[in-house]
Amino acid sequence: MNKFIAIFLLLLIAGFNTSIFASSNLEAGTVHQTDIKNTHLPYDFTDTKMIPIKLAVVHEVNSEKGLIEGHKIDFKVIRDVYCDEKLILKRGDIVKGRVDTIVTSGMNGFPAEVMFDDFEIPGISQSQLISGYVKKGQNRCFWVYPLKWALTIIPLVGSLTNFIKGGHVKLRTSDVITVYYYPNWP
Amino acid sequence: MQKRKLIYILICLLFLIQPSIAEDNLDEFIAAENSIQTRIDMVGTNLLNFNKIPKRVVFVYNKKDKKNLISIDKNLTSRQVVIYDGLYKSVQTDDELAAMLAREIAVVIKSYSGIWGGTIDSIQVALGSKKFEIVADKRAVDYMVNAGYNPLALIVFINKTCPQKRFDKFSRHNLTSKRLARIYEYITYKYPKYLENNEYVDNQYYQNFLLNSISNRRKLEEKIKSGSTEEIDYE
Repeated sequence: MNKFIAIFLLLLIAGFNTSIFASSNLEAGTVHQTDIKNTHLPYDFTDTKMIPIKLAVVHEVNSEKGLIEGHKIDFKVIRDVYCDEKLILKRGDIVKGRVDTIVTSGMNGFPAEVMFDDFEIPGISQSQLISGYVKKGQNRCFWVYPLKWALTIIPLVGSLTNFIKGGHVKLRTSDVITVYYYPNWP
Repeated sequence: MQKRKLIYILICLLFLIQPSIAEDNLDEFIAAENSIQTRIDMVGTNLLNFNKIPKRVVFVYNKKDKKNLISIDKNLTSRQVVIYDGLYKSVQTDDELAAMLAREIAVVIKSYSGIWGGTIDSIQVALGSKKFEIVADKRAVDYMVNAGYNPLALIVFINKTCPQKRFDKFSRHNLTSKRLARIYEYITYKYPKYLENNEYVDNQYYQNFLLNSISNRRKLEEKIKSGSTEEIDYE
Protein backbone atom coordinates (compact mmCIF):
# COMPACT_ATOMS: atom_id res chain seq x y z
CA MET A 1 0.00 0.00 0.00
CA ASN A 2 2.82 2.34 1.05
CA LYS A 3 4.64 1.52 -2.18
CA PHE A 4 1.56 2.50 -4.07
CA ILE A 5 1.27 5.84 -2.21
CA ALA A 6 5.00 6.52 -2.77
CA ILE A 7 4.74 5.86 -6.51
CA PHE A 8 1.57 7.95 -6.69
CA LEU A 9 3.29 10.89 -4.97
CA LEU A 10 6.36 10.54 -7.19
CA LEU A 11 4.18 10.57 -10.29
CA LEU A 12 2.21 13.49 -8.92
CA ILE A 13 5.35 15.59 -8.35
CA ALA A 14 6.85 14.63 -11.70
CA GLY A 15 3.57 15.05 -13.55
CA PHE A 16 2.85 18.40 -11.92
CA ASN A 17 6.22 19.82 -12.89
CA THR A 18 6.22 18.52 -16.45
CA SER A 19 2.69 19.81 -17.00
CA ILE A 20 3.79 23.28 -15.89
CA PHE A 21 6.81 23.19 -18.21
CA ALA A 22 4.67 21.90 -21.03
CA SER A 23 2.16 24.70 -20.60
CA SER A 24 4.88 27.33 -20.39
CA ASN A 25 6.35 25.99 -23.64
CA LEU A 26 2.92 26.25 -25.19
CA GLU A 27 2.66 29.86 -24.05
CA ALA A 28 6.09 30.62 -25.47
CA GLY A 29 5.02 29.04 -28.74
CA THR A 30 2.17 31.50 -29.19
CA VAL A 31 4.36 34.55 -28.58
CA HIS A 32 5.63 36.06 -31.80
CA GLN A 33 8.04 38.86 -32.42
CA THR A 34 6.29 42.07 -33.32
CA ASP A 35 7.46 43.41 -36.63
CA ILE A 36 5.99 46.86 -37.27
CA LYS A 37 6.09 47.39 -40.99
CA ASN A 38 6.68 50.58 -42.86
CA THR A 39 3.42 52.07 -43.88
CA HIS A 40 2.20 54.46 -46.50
CA LEU A 41 1.27 57.76 -44.93
CA PRO A 42 3.06 59.32 -42.00
CA TYR A 43 1.09 60.79 -39.12
CA ASP A 44 1.61 63.23 -36.30
CA PHE A 45 -1.58 64.38 -34.63
CA THR A 46 0.08 66.96 -32.35
CA ASP A 47 -1.33 69.99 -34.11
CA THR A 48 -5.02 70.80 -33.56
CA LYS A 49 -5.49 73.43 -36.24
CA MET A 50 -8.46 72.38 -38.32
CA ILE A 51 -10.21 73.89 -41.31
CA PRO A 52 -13.69 72.64 -42.19
CA ILE A 53 -14.42 72.23 -45.90
CA LYS A 54 -18.13 72.32 -46.72
CA LEU A 55 -19.22 70.28 -49.71
CA ALA A 56 -22.46 69.25 -51.41
CA VAL A 57 -23.21 66.84 -54.22
CA VAL A 58 -23.53 68.33 -57.68
CA HIS A 59 -26.44 66.01 -58.58
CA GLU A 60 -28.80 64.28 -56.18
CA VAL A 61 -27.66 60.77 -55.25
CA ASN A 62 -30.04 57.91 -54.49
CA SER A 63 -28.98 54.49 -53.19
CA GLU A 64 -31.97 52.91 -54.93
CA LYS A 65 -30.60 53.47 -58.39
CA GLY A 66 -27.30 54.01 -60.09
CA LEU A 67 -25.01 54.11 -57.07
CA ILE A 68 -22.09 51.71 -57.28
CA GLU A 69 -19.36 51.06 -54.74
CA GLY A 70 -16.02 52.42 -55.85
CA HIS A 71 -17.46 54.96 -58.26
CA LYS A 72 -16.43 58.58 -57.98
CA ILE A 73 -18.98 61.32 -57.86
CA ASP A 74 -18.71 65.09 -58.06
CA PHE A 75 -19.06 67.36 -55.06
CA LYS A 76 -18.92 71.13 -55.14
CA VAL A 77 -17.36 73.41 -52.58
CA ILE A 78 -20.16 75.53 -51.09
CA ARG A 79 -18.06 78.07 -49.19
CA ASP A 80 -14.64 79.62 -49.87
CA VAL A 81 -11.93 77.88 -47.84
CA TYR A 82 -9.01 79.88 -46.46
CA CYS A 83 -5.83 78.69 -44.81
CA ASP A 84 -3.69 81.42 -43.21
CA GLU A 85 -5.72 84.01 -45.11
CA LYS A 86 -4.85 82.30 -48.39
CA LEU A 87 -7.69 81.03 -50.55
CA ILE A 88 -7.21 77.30 -51.07
CA LEU A 89 -10.64 76.34 -52.41
CA LYS A 90 -13.13 78.59 -54.14
CA ARG A 91 -16.88 78.30 -53.86
CA GLY A 92 -18.12 76.20 -56.77
CA ASP A 93 -14.87 74.22 -57.19
CA ILE A 94 -15.48 70.57 -58.01
CA VAL A 95 -14.04 67.87 -55.78
CA LYS A 96 -14.21 64.15 -56.51
CA GLY A 97 -15.26 61.72 -53.78
CA ARG A 98 -15.57 57.97 -53.78
CA VAL A 99 -18.65 55.89 -52.88
CA ASP A 100 -16.85 53.75 -50.35
CA THR A 101 -19.44 51.40 -48.90
CA ILE A 102 -23.10 50.81 -49.63
CA VAL A 103 -25.32 48.97 -47.16
CA THR A 104 -28.64 48.17 -48.79
CA SER A 105 -31.84 48.63 -46.82
CA GLY A 106 -33.04 45.52 -45.05
CA MET A 107 -36.00 43.82 -43.43
CA ASN A 108 -37.57 45.11 -40.23
CA GLY A 109 -36.98 48.71 -41.21
CA PHE A 110 -33.19 48.62 -41.46
CA PRO A 111 -32.12 51.74 -43.35
CA ALA A 112 -29.71 51.84 -46.27
CA GLU A 113 -26.38 53.46 -45.61
CA VAL A 114 -23.77 54.97 -47.92
CA MET A 115 -20.28 56.04 -46.94
CA PHE A 116 -18.35 58.57 -49.00
CA ASP A 117 -14.60 58.93 -48.59
CA ASP A 118 -11.31 59.59 -50.40
CA PHE A 119 -12.14 63.17 -51.35
CA GLU A 120 -9.56 64.38 -53.85
CA ILE A 121 -8.88 67.97 -52.93
CA PRO A 122 -6.16 69.65 -54.99
CA GLY A 123 -3.02 70.42 -53.01
CA ILE A 124 -4.18 68.49 -49.92
CA SER A 125 -2.81 65.08 -49.01
CA GLN A 126 -5.16 62.33 -47.81
CA SER A 127 -3.11 62.16 -44.61
CA GLN A 128 -4.27 65.71 -43.79
CA LEU A 129 -7.97 64.94 -44.12
CA ILE A 130 -10.55 63.34 -41.88
CA SER A 131 -13.17 62.85 -44.48
CA GLY A 132 -15.47 59.86 -44.04
CA TYR A 133 -19.11 60.89 -44.43
CA VAL A 134 -22.01 58.53 -43.80
CA LYS A 135 -25.57 59.14 -44.90
CA LYS A 136 -28.40 56.88 -43.78
CA GLY A 137 -31.89 56.32 -45.07
CA GLN A 138 -35.00 56.52 -42.92
CA ASN A 139 -34.69 54.22 -39.93
CA ARG A 140 -38.02 52.46 -39.51
CA CYS A 141 -36.79 50.10 -36.80
CA PHE A 142 -38.12 52.54 -34.17
CA TRP A 143 -41.72 51.65 -34.91
CA VAL A 144 -41.29 48.31 -36.71
CA TYR A 145 -39.84 46.49 -33.68
CA PRO A 146 -42.48 47.69 -31.17
CA LEU A 147 -45.13 46.76 -33.74
CA LYS A 148 -43.54 43.35 -34.21
CA TRP A 149 -43.53 42.66 -30.48
CA ALA A 150 -47.09 43.90 -30.09
CA LEU A 151 -48.26 41.60 -32.87
CA THR A 152 -46.51 38.50 -31.58
CA ILE A 153 -49.59 37.73 -29.43
CA ILE A 154 -51.32 36.71 -32.68
CA PRO A 155 -49.36 33.69 -34.01
CA LEU A 156 -47.19 34.39 -37.08
CA VAL A 157 -48.56 37.91 -37.56
CA GLY A 158 -45.50 39.52 -35.92
CA SER A 159 -43.30 38.01 -38.62
CA LEU A 160 -45.11 40.06 -41.25
CA THR A 161 -43.12 43.11 -40.15
CA ASN A 162 -40.08 41.38 -41.66
CA PHE A 163 -41.30 42.63 -45.01
CA ILE A 164 -41.12 46.28 -44.01
CA LYS A 165 -37.90 47.62 -45.44
CA GLY A 166 -35.86 50.60 -44.30
CA GLY A 167 -35.50 53.81 -46.25
CA HIS A 168 -33.08 54.43 -49.10
CA VAL A 169 -30.33 57.02 -48.94
CA LYS A 170 -31.05 60.28 -50.68
CA LEU A 171 -28.22 62.76 -50.73
CA ARG A 172 -29.69 66.06 -51.86
CA THR A 173 -27.79 69.00 -53.27
CA SER A 174 -28.81 70.91 -50.13
CA ASP A 175 -27.17 68.38 -47.76
CA VAL A 176 -23.92 69.75 -46.36
CA ILE A 177 -20.93 67.43 -46.03
CA THR A 178 -18.09 68.63 -43.84
CA VAL A 179 -14.57 67.38 -44.44
CA TYR A 180 -11.87 68.40 -41.98
CA TYR A 181 -8.48 69.60 -43.21
CA TYR A 182 -5.54 69.66 -40.79
CA PRO A 183 -2.94 71.83 -42.58
CA ASN A 184 -0.08 71.13 -40.16
CA TRP A 185 -0.33 67.37 -40.26
CA PRO A 186 2.38 65.71 -42.39
CA MET B 1 9.38 2.39 8.55
CA GLN B 2 11.74 3.52 5.78
CA LYS B 3 8.90 3.54 3.30
CA ARG B 4 6.90 5.79 5.59
CA LYS B 5 9.89 8.18 5.81
CA LEU B 6 10.11 8.20 2.06
CA ILE B 7 6.44 9.14 1.82
CA TYR B 8 6.92 12.00 4.32
CA ILE B 9 9.94 13.25 2.33
CA LEU B 10 7.96 13.12 -0.89
CA ILE B 11 5.05 14.99 0.69
CA CYS B 12 7.47 17.67 1.93
CA LEU B 13 9.06 17.85 -1.52
CA LEU B 14 5.67 18.30 -3.09
CA PHE B 15 4.90 21.30 -0.87
CA LEU B 16 8.42 22.79 -1.10
CA ILE B 17 9.00 22.52 -4.82
CA GLN B 18 5.52 23.41 -5.94
CA PRO B 19 5.43 27.09 -4.83
CA SER B 20 8.91 27.94 -6.16
CA ILE B 21 8.20 26.36 -9.52
CA ALA B 22 4.78 27.94 -9.59
CA GLU B 23 6.35 31.36 -8.90
CA ASP B 24 8.91 30.94 -11.71
CA ASN B 25 6.23 29.78 -14.06
CA LEU B 26 3.91 32.56 -13.01
CA ASP B 27 6.57 35.09 -14.07
CA GLU B 28 7.03 33.29 -17.38
CA PHE B 29 3.27 33.12 -17.80
CA ILE B 30 2.83 36.85 -17.12
CA ALA B 31 5.71 37.71 -19.47
CA ALA B 32 4.17 35.58 -22.20
CA GLU B 33 0.75 37.15 -21.76
CA ASN B 34 2.30 40.62 -21.63
CA SER B 35 4.14 39.93 -24.85
CA ILE B 36 0.92 38.85 -26.57
CA GLN B 37 -0.97 41.87 -25.23
CA THR B 38 1.82 44.22 -26.37
CA ARG B 39 1.78 42.75 -29.84
CA ILE B 40 -2.00 43.08 -30.08
CA ASP B 41 -1.89 46.68 -28.77
CA MET B 42 0.80 47.70 -31.25
CA VAL B 43 -0.89 46.27 -34.32
CA GLY B 44 -4.31 47.52 -33.15
CA THR B 45 -3.05 51.04 -32.46
CA ASN B 46 -1.30 51.07 -35.83
CA LEU B 47 -4.63 50.36 -37.48
CA LEU B 48 -6.34 53.14 -35.52
CA ASN B 49 -3.64 55.74 -36.18
CA PHE B 50 -3.04 55.06 -39.84
CA ASN B 51 -6.77 55.13 -40.48
CA LYS B 52 -7.15 58.33 -38.44
CA ILE B 53 -9.94 56.82 -36.38
CA PRO B 54 -10.70 59.50 -33.78
CA LYS B 55 -12.53 57.11 -31.43
CA ARG B 56 -11.30 55.14 -28.46
CA VAL B 57 -10.93 51.40 -28.92
CA VAL B 58 -9.35 49.08 -26.36
CA PHE B 59 -7.78 45.72 -27.16
CA VAL B 60 -7.98 42.94 -24.58
CA TYR B 61 -6.34 39.54 -24.77
CA ASN B 62 -8.45 36.85 -23.11
CA LYS B 63 -7.05 33.43 -22.17
CA LYS B 64 -10.43 31.85 -22.77
CA ASP B 65 -10.60 29.69 -25.85
CA LYS B 66 -13.66 31.39 -27.29
CA LYS B 67 -16.55 33.66 -26.50
CA ASN B 68 -19.51 32.24 -24.58
CA LEU B 69 -22.40 31.25 -26.81
CA ILE B 70 -24.73 33.67 -25.03
CA SER B 71 -22.76 36.77 -24.14
CA ILE B 72 -22.91 40.51 -24.66
CA ASP B 73 -20.81 41.66 -27.59
CA LYS B 74 -18.17 43.85 -25.94
CA ASN B 75 -17.28 45.31 -29.35
CA LEU B 76 -20.60 47.09 -29.28
CA THR B 77 -21.15 47.73 -25.57
CA SER B 78 -17.71 48.61 -24.15
CA ARG B 79 -15.90 49.40 -27.42
CA GLN B 80 -13.48 46.66 -26.49
CA VAL B 81 -11.92 44.30 -28.98
CA VAL B 82 -11.53 41.00 -27.14
CA ILE B 83 -9.04 38.56 -28.64
CA TYR B 84 -9.71 35.01 -27.46
CA ASP B 85 -6.84 32.60 -27.23
CA GLY B 86 -8.54 30.06 -29.48
CA LEU B 87 -8.45 32.52 -32.38
CA TYR B 88 -5.09 34.03 -31.47
CA LYS B 89 -3.49 30.60 -31.85
CA SER B 90 -4.34 30.74 -35.56
CA VAL B 91 -2.51 34.04 -36.03
CA GLN B 92 0.88 33.52 -37.63
CA THR B 93 1.89 36.89 -39.00
CA ASP B 94 1.26 40.55 -38.13
CA ASP B 95 -0.81 40.77 -41.31
CA GLU B 96 -3.13 38.08 -39.98
CA LEU B 97 -3.32 39.73 -36.57
CA ALA B 98 -4.15 43.02 -38.31
CA ALA B 99 -6.86 41.17 -40.26
CA MET B 100 -8.45 39.89 -37.06
CA LEU B 101 -8.26 43.29 -35.33
CA ALA B 102 -9.35 45.36 -38.35
CA ARG B 103 -12.48 43.25 -38.63
CA GLU B 104 -13.38 43.93 -35.01
CA ILE B 105 -12.46 47.64 -35.18
CA ALA B 106 -14.92 48.02 -38.06
CA VAL B 107 -17.68 46.69 -35.76
CA VAL B 108 -16.61 48.89 -32.83
CA ILE B 109 -16.62 52.04 -34.97
CA LYS B 110 -20.21 51.31 -35.97
CA SER B 111 -21.17 51.44 -32.29
CA TYR B 112 -20.05 55.08 -32.17
CA SER B 113 -22.39 56.34 -34.89
CA GLY B 114 -26.01 57.35 -34.60
CA ILE B 115 -28.27 58.65 -31.86
CA TRP B 116 -28.17 57.81 -28.13
CA GLY B 117 -24.40 57.42 -28.23
CA GLY B 118 -24.63 54.79 -30.93
CA THR B 119 -27.04 52.54 -29.00
CA ILE B 120 -29.50 52.14 -31.87
CA ASP B 121 -26.75 51.45 -34.40
CA SER B 122 -25.22 48.88 -32.07
CA ILE B 123 -28.54 47.06 -31.75
CA GLN B 124 -28.92 47.13 -35.51
CA VAL B 125 -25.46 45.69 -36.03
CA ALA B 126 -26.25 42.94 -33.52
CA LEU B 127 -29.62 42.14 -35.11
CA GLY B 128 -28.65 42.63 -38.73
CA SER B 129 -25.28 41.02 -38.41
CA LYS B 130 -25.44 39.28 -41.80
CA LYS B 131 -25.47 42.53 -43.71
CA PHE B 132 -22.90 44.22 -41.50
CA GLU B 133 -20.61 41.19 -41.64
CA ILE B 134 -19.84 41.93 -45.28
CA VAL B 135 -19.51 45.67 -44.58
CA ALA B 136 -17.10 44.99 -41.71
CA ASP B 137 -15.05 42.69 -43.95
CA LYS B 138 -14.73 45.43 -46.57
CA ARG B 139 -13.86 48.08 -44.00
CA ALA B 140 -11.25 45.70 -42.58
CA VAL B 141 -9.63 45.47 -46.01
CA ASP B 142 -9.49 49.28 -46.20
CA TYR B 143 -8.07 49.58 -42.69
CA MET B 144 -5.38 47.03 -43.43
CA VAL B 145 -4.30 48.69 -46.67
CA ASN B 146 -4.16 52.13 -45.04
CA ALA B 147 -2.00 50.76 -42.26
CA GLY B 148 0.36 49.00 -44.65
CA TYR B 149 -0.78 45.41 -44.08
CA ASN B 150 -1.53 43.00 -46.90
CA PRO B 151 -5.33 42.57 -47.17
CA LEU B 152 -4.96 39.06 -48.56
CA ALA B 153 -4.15 38.08 -44.99
CA LEU B 154 -7.83 38.62 -44.19
CA ILE B 155 -8.71 35.91 -46.71
CA VAL B 156 -6.06 33.62 -45.24
CA PHE B 157 -7.22 34.26 -41.68
CA ILE B 158 -10.92 33.73 -42.37
CA ASN B 159 -10.16 30.65 -44.49
CA LYS B 160 -8.24 29.16 -41.56
CA THR B 161 -10.62 30.05 -38.75
CA CYS B 162 -14.24 30.29 -39.87
CA PRO B 163 -16.09 27.03 -40.44
CA GLN B 164 -18.33 26.48 -43.45
CA LYS B 165 -22.00 26.00 -42.56
CA ARG B 166 -24.48 24.19 -44.77
CA PHE B 167 -26.95 27.04 -45.33
CA ASP B 168 -27.19 30.71 -44.57
CA LYS B 169 -30.79 31.48 -45.54
CA PHE B 170 -32.08 31.55 -41.96
CA SER B 171 -28.77 32.25 -40.28
CA ARG B 172 -27.49 35.49 -38.80
CA HIS B 173 -24.20 34.89 -40.60
CA ASN B 174 -23.15 34.50 -44.22
CA LEU B 175 -21.56 31.35 -45.55
CA THR B 176 -17.80 31.72 -45.11
CA SER B 177 -17.26 30.97 -48.80
CA LYS B 178 -19.51 33.93 -49.68
CA ARG B 179 -17.62 36.24 -47.33
CA LEU B 180 -14.30 35.16 -48.81
CA ALA B 181 -15.58 35.65 -52.34
CA ARG B 182 -16.84 39.16 -51.54
CA ILE B 183 -13.51 40.10 -49.93
CA TYR B 184 -11.64 38.73 -52.95
CA GLU B 185 -13.92 40.71 -55.27
CA TYR B 186 -13.42 43.88 -53.20
CA ILE B 187 -9.63 43.52 -53.36
CA THR B 188 -9.79 42.72 -57.08
CA TYR B 189 -11.61 45.95 -57.80
CA LYS B 190 -10.22 48.32 -55.23
CA TYR B 191 -6.68 47.12 -54.60
CA PRO B 192 -5.68 45.04 -57.64
CA LYS B 193 -1.97 45.65 -57.04
CA TYR B 194 -2.08 43.15 -54.17
CA LEU B 195 -3.19 40.46 -56.62
CA GLU B 196 -0.79 41.54 -59.34
CA ASN B 197 2.24 41.42 -57.02
CA ASN B 198 0.84 38.64 -54.91
CA GLU B 199 3.05 37.99 -51.89
CA TYR B 200 0.72 35.21 -50.79
CA VAL B 201 0.97 33.14 -53.96
CA ASP B 202 3.27 30.64 -52.23
CA ASN B 203 1.24 30.63 -49.03
CA GLN B 204 -0.37 27.22 -48.56
CA TYR B 205 -3.45 28.64 -46.82
CA TYR B 206 -4.01 31.15 -49.61
CA GLN B 207 -3.59 28.39 -52.17
CA ASN B 208 -6.18 26.40 -50.24
CA PHE B 209 -8.57 29.36 -50.55
CA LEU B 210 -7.88 29.48 -54.31
CA LEU B 211 -8.66 25.78 -54.51
CA ASN B 212 -11.96 25.98 -52.64
CA SER B 213 -13.11 29.15 -54.41
CA ILE B 214 -12.66 28.11 -58.04
CA SER B 215 -16.36 28.32 -58.95
CA ASN B 216 -16.81 31.67 -57.19
CA ARG B 217 -13.71 33.11 -58.84
CA ARG B 218 -14.99 31.95 -62.23
CA LYS B 219 -18.18 33.92 -61.57
CA LEU B 220 -16.10 36.99 -60.77
CA GLU B 221 -14.03 36.53 -63.95
CA GLU B 222 -17.26 36.40 -65.98
CA LYS B 223 -18.49 39.58 -64.28
CA ILE B 224 -15.25 41.39 -65.07
CA LYS B 225 -15.32 40.19 -68.69
CA SER B 226 -18.92 41.30 -69.20
CA GLY B 227 -18.41 44.59 -67.38
CA SER B 228 -21.52 43.91 -65.34
CA THR B 229 -22.25 45.83 -62.14
CA GLU B 230 -24.77 43.28 -60.83
CA GLU B 231 -24.10 41.64 -57.51
CA ILE B 232 -22.85 38.08 -57.95
CA ASP B 233 -24.78 35.29 -56.26
CA TYR B 234 -21.83 33.47 -54.70
CA GLU B 235 -22.03 29.91 -53.38
